[in-house]
Amino acid sequence: MSASRGPLLFQDIDTPGLRSLEVYRGQGGYQTIGTVVGAKTPDECIEIVKASGLRGRGGAGFPTGLKWSFVPKGSPKPKYLVCNADESEPGTFKDRELMEKNPHLLIEGMILSAYAIQAHVGYLYLRGEFEYLQRILGQAIGEAQVAGLLGDDIAGSGFRLELHTHLGAGAYICGEETALLSSLEGYRGQPRLKPPFPAVEGLYACPTIVNNVETLMNVPHILRHGAQWFRQWGTEKSPGTKILSVSGPVQRPGNHEVPMGLPLSALLEGPCGGMREGFRVKAVIPGGSSVPLLPASRLDTGLDFESMAAAGTLLGSGGVIVIDDQTCIVDALYNITRFYEHESCGKCTPCREGTYWMSEVFERLESGHGRERDIDLLFDVSDNILGKSFCALGDAAAMPVMGAIQHFREEFEYHVKHKRCLVNRRRAELEARFGETAAV
Amino acid sequence: MSRPCRVNVNGRIVEVPSGTLLTDAAREAEVHVPIFCSHGKLPPLGACRICVVEVGMPKLGPDRQPVLGAGGQPEIAWMPKVQTACTTTVSDGMHVLTESPAAVKARKGVMEFLLVNHPLDCPVCDEGGECQLQDLAFAFGHDFSRMDEAKRTFDSEDLGPVVKKEANRCIVCMRCVRYCDEVMGDDALTAHQRGVWTEISSFNRQPLECEQCGNCIEVCPVGALTALPYRFKARPWDLRQHVTVCPYCSNGCSVRLGVRGAEVLRARGTEFRGINREYLCVRGRFGYEFINSPERLSTPLLKLGGTLEPAGFDEAVTFAASRLGEIAAVHGPASIAFLGGEKVTVEEAYLFQKLARAVLGTNHVDSRTRWPAAVPGRAVLKATGGGRPALTFEELVHAQEVLILGDDLQGEGPFAQAQVIRGQHQHGLHLTVAHPRRVKLAGVKFQGLWLDYRPGAELPLLQALTRAALDLPRPSGLPAEVLEGLPALEQALAPWTPSRVEQATGLSMASIADAARRLREAERKAVLFGRALTEHPEALALLHAVENLAWLCGALSAERSAVMYVGPQNDTQGALDMGLLPDCLPGYVAVEDAQGRRAFEQQWGGPLPSVPGKTAPEILEAAAAGEIKALWIVSDNWLRSAPDRRLAEQALGEAELVIVNELFLTETARAAHVVFPASSFAEKEGVMVNCERRLQKNVRALSPRKGSRPDWEIFQSVAQALGARWSYRTVEDVFREIARLAPNYRGMHWASLLPSGAQWASADRPVVPGSLGGADGAGATRDEVAARAGGGAATDGAPSPSAPAGLVLLSGGVLFLQGSLSQRGSLLPRLARAARASLHPEEAKRLRVAAGEPLEIEGSAGHIRLPVAIDPGVPEGSVFVPYAHADVDLNRLGAPGRAGLRVTARRATELERIGAG
Amino acid sequence: MTETHDGLVTVAAPEALEWPAACRGEIERVLSRYPNRRSAVLPVLWIAQRQWGWISAGALRLVARTVELPEPEVFGIATFYTMFNLAPVGRHHLQVCMTISCSLMGADRLFRHLEERLGIGHGQTTADGRFTLRRVECLAACGGAPCLQVGFAYHENLDEAKVDALLETLP
Repeated sequence: MSASRGPLLFQDIDTPGLRSLEVYRGQGGYQTIGTVVGAKTPDECIEIVKASGLRGRGGAGFPTGLKWSFVPKGSPKPKYLVCNADESEPGTFKDRELMEKNPHLLIEGMILSAYAIQAHVGYLYLRGEFEYLQRILGQAIGEAQVAGLLGDDIAGSGFRLELHTHLGAGAYICGEETALLSSLEGYRGQPRLKPPFPAVEGLYACPTIVNNVETLMNVPHILRHGAQWFRQWGTEKSPGTKILSVSGPVQRPGNHEVPMGLPLSALLEGPCGGMREGFRVKAVIPGGSSVPLLPASRLDTGLDFESMAAAGTLLGSGGVIVIDDQTCIVDALYNITRFYEHESCGKCTPCREGTYWMSEVFERLESGHGRERDIDLLFDVSDNILGKSFCALGDAAAMPVMGAIQHFREEFEYHVKHKRCLVNRRRAELEARFGETAAV
Repeated sequence: MSRPCRVNVNGRIVEVPSGTLLTDAAREAEVHVPIFCSHGKLPPLGACRICVVEVGMPKLGPDRQPVLGAGGQPEIAWMPKVQTACTTTVSDGMHVLTESPAAVKARKGVMEFLLVNHPLDCPVCDEGGECQLQDLAFAFGHDFSRMDEAKRTFDSEDLGPVVKKEANRCIVCMRCVRYCDEVMGDDALTAHQRGVWTEISSFNRQPLECEQCGNCIEVCPVGALTALPYRFKARPWDLRQHVTVCPYCSNGCSVRLGVRGAEVLRARGTEFRGINREYLCVRGRFGYEFINSPERLSTPLLKLGGTLEPAGFDEAVTFAASRLGEIAAVHGPASIAFLGGEKVTVEEAYLFQKLARAVLGTNHVDSRTRWPAAVPGRAVLKATGGGRPALTFEELVHAQEVLILGDDLQGEGPFAQAQVIRGQHQHGLHLTVAHPRRVKLAGVKFQGLWLDYRPGAELPLLQALTRAALDLPRPSGLPAEVLEGLPALEQALAPWTPSRVEQATGLSMASIADAARRLREAERKAVLFGRALTEHPEALALLHAVENLAWLCGALSAERSAVMYVGPQNDTQGALDMGLLPDCLPGYVAVEDAQGRRAFEQQWGGPLPSVPGKTAPEILEAAAAGEIKALWIVSDNWLRSAPDRRLAEQALGEAELVIVNELFLTETARAAHVVFPASSFAEKEGVMVNCERRLQKNVRALSPRKGSRPDWEIFQSVAQALGARWSYRTVEDVFREIARLAPNYRGMHWASLLPSGAQWASADRPVVPGSLGGADGAGATRDEVAARAGGGAATDGAPSPSAPAGLVLLSGGVLFLQGSLSQRGSLLPRLARAARASLHPEEAKRLRVAAGEPLEIEGSAGHIRLPVAIDPGVPEGSVFVPYAHADVDLNRLGAPGRAGLRVTARRATELERIGAG
Repeated sequence: MTETHDGLVTVAAPEALEWPAACRGEIERVLSRYPNRRSAVLPVLWIAQRQWGWISAGALRLVARTVELPEPEVFGIATFYTMFNLAPVGRHHLQVCMTISCSLMGADRLFRHLEERLGIGHGQTTADGRFTLRRVECLAACGGAPCLQVGFAYHENLDEAKVDALLETLP
């Protein structure tokens, strides 16, 4: 047994051979198939998950049990469970490790969740780059099928479920649940109108629950140990643990599981082992690239949905991107803006045109041709996207820029005035890109 | 659903049904909310975001009652974000603000975004002056641009012969893509790439493979898609625009002609008016060239010696009148026959038959020149349920089940097809298509039931359908006459055992029963038929069968359900209504009906002939036999439309006098003694009746071509020369007389018909209620029909594919051509390409012909030669030749028999010019 | 299924294509997973790409026929997603993540190094057909930044020396 890396999902994550059904079962895996499926009613399952306070780990933090309860009872239509394994938010890489190392926990979570909403077909939507995970999961699904854990009569309970993996092909937007469903149905991966919400009219216009990998992996633990047990971690409103994907110049980047509510500074000092030699924190993007950054002065903020919101940002998907003191904020935000320009699906005007425009303005700042009015322009363009785009991608592009201007306006002004960055350790790269006028 | 909701829009309260979109509620409140991506025929998309507004609901207290604020007004809980009005449905008590600071900023922001990459090339953009982006930028935008970065650019491209694309102007509203998909069923356009690089184009940027309807151009709110034929021709403010009725098929779309000087430069949809709104088919949109054609007749022609020579109008009138008078005097009125009139206005049709009946005294009047069988004038009326309200196109979209009997709507009624496709796409319409070929609507993607009956087996199919319907529960509301006829019908159809049905139709009884069941069980249903049944030797039995089937399946008794006759021409229905029939006066008053006749005799000032005249095929025979001495043919190229070319040629050769009203010197006009140049639809006023039986007004968009006159003026001049005291000053005078006399038009007001008036229906008269077996005195007797229904079946030798006797010739309309007018321009013939004979691959193998090789098709009376096309959608045992091409005279092959037109085909040694008989 | 890594082989696909026998079983399996054929469009596009290394216009038509979708729509779908190669690519498709976390850890430097080392830029293929170089967005390997994928195989915590060593192992 290897050392435990976290209290819950990561407790045994590095166990050798965990990917195999045998080892997974040896650790108590799939016990719930006997104790829950067929033994408890679907409604009881939903109530337990509701009581646990489990909230979606994909970014929005919506209460999972409540979401499940929106599936209309007695609808004659088939119901679907879809696992969102698109993991596309920059800075986030937890689901990849979870699925790579512990695929059966996800399968168990999907069986239980499907049972709770009475879905008989589940799809696992993997981003295209995760082709190797499709094989790992496919193998695990095969094993589970042979063992009677999937199929027509799961462990004699009478409940049936088939699971399929589905590989995306390169589109950030497919992490948005309705875009994911469009993609799964064979359309261009563009978001759809809500309402109707997927729980009522989702995949093939049937009731559908879309849950993130980490969310689903919490479900077996909750149904096995109970809601109160789960609440031993975290805060009242954000119970449980959270896997945070930490990137940037820290000593130990990677996935770290901590109880919700742990101060950000504790994460960085503890599991991450502090900053690398010669670097200091300037700011942290706590929840993936689409949330506003926190300046170093706010590192005391707790890693839970409420504390982050109070600090003007979001816990999001838990992609903690640490920006060091030698990185130019303008440069970092240019990178993020370019990302959203590249990933905008093009459906709505504000996001499609706005991200392009913002990129162009950033490029002007970066290339040393910035004008004073560009800073306010960037802010106003972002403001005109915020809340006006079709889906949250527009907000995701707007919020970080607005936050950066609010917290680090002086770096933008310095750019305009001095035609160069206040700091930049990447000077050489930018000079190569923009030539001598580069504002670096 | 229709519970009323009170909505407060900018302080103005309107009451609208629940489910109403905010955009519509705002319109109701006379508040302008701009839109781009939203379109009346497409479901809400919410993509362009220009329609953002602030929305709030009354705040509710713990007692679920509205919280009242200062002044006793309910407090409003405003939603934190602006909402798109085009996707938000109203709720009772909803408050909407379109001019609040947040709404205005959001809208201006979107407007600014729309212009981020839109080029400022309005001066050279064809859309300029009628561009929604231009208009809204003017109304809602900034007066300066903050965007001074480089714009993203695409290359422009031609997507085939009609669509010009300037992607830089595109605002990605997706109207074109969605319209092409959901309304046209063509899926020819798609969005490429994504984000700011989203570009609308075709598969791999190849020419669009579609109907070339140009509706993508019409729905494009900017200049991204423009019409190549109109490119750089004019600015919209240089055009006089007139909304009139399309001259092509019987659907009767409103068309907006753009006229400069004496030239029509374009045709467009109407956006907010007409049954079709923006929709036009390729013929309607690009088939206007004939109006401007230099080949138009510009002077009357007289054949005094052997050749047609130009003559003055008065001279031609005098000649025509004196010859008609002489012939009537010498040979009697029954030696005169009037034919055609399906393309003239209602008023003209009315005067045409009035001239025949009241001035000359003949009932030999028939507009149904293509029909090969003598059929009573009211047969179509009966098959469509008599005076029962006709099906509307709106009802067609919302029908649950649509049965199309034998026609290819793509050629015969493109708008009807578009409605069916939209219904299938958006409203769960189910489609049953009975057609031997895999026509567009029989395609897999429309998910319907395709009854691919054996070519020529129309009657067995309909009888089998009726047989199946007899086994289903009777719909309520069947008239007594129908119920009385049922036992006889049961008996007559008893011989239709499943094995006989299969033998005759090539279809399983199960699939036929499925079709009947679907029609019976649907709440809202429609049955459509057209030329495939009427231009059939068994037309009468087929029309009776349609009527029987429709009654039995409830298509004539259920709400919002009906039978629609999709006739061949734009005023086919009007011609029937106006008594261009040998046995009916206007309004289907029987000529034998003394009481009914009296009203006409009083108004027209004299006795009218009371014996029914000859039908068109009887006139054809009689004229060929020399019994009919004078023929007046109006707007009908009879040599091509008559069922037998040889007889028609003989008839024209035999006749002492042939008068033709035409726009062009057609084959038929060449054979005439008097040719009157007629004005085109664009040059005259009058009422047209479409296949919904809707009266619509033709508008004069330009002056009559020099030398031409509207047909009604020609009729009046000849009538006056014959001594009649006609004194119509305007078309309206004529219409008023019709509205007084024709029972079905009673109460119609000229002023209310623009552009689309009401449908006519008459609850009381003059229509015989449906009677199974059709014993209405004018038609076949019940026994006759029963005999046909049952008896003939076994010998109704539907050909089997392996029969050595040859092939059945299948014909039908094609999209790009209809009639002679469509062939007078350059674009439509180019799109249609040359006519070809289509064969199933197996059939081609048997005949040892390959695509492009010449095929000689031999009928009983003649032969034609065409290059071969291979089409797996054509059934084995048949050859398909479209009837629209001017150079293919199918009637040279001979008249069709009961099971269709039998021909033999073989590979010809060389491809000669087609046509020699 | 085949091993991951970079199984992409450049084969010029002729216009009129049919599925080789090897693909047919997989296509049937894929189609059986969904209630309609449309849903199989991405899986079938993947099968085409695995088969031919890239997706030609002929392959798009074949896919459209297989899943019974209009050809233009399949074109629109294939171009929406970034991972379908609509032009031939080299034997090894080097996809360098350029997004924020990798950028913070030196992705630009790494990419520039690859450009210089291979003599090609973004979207280009070496003359010998061995490498195609491409900038891509976040690969979900931010903890191992900077990273790249060769085909589907992840390589993390890279620097110039490590990437040089990696290139040596790719034939």
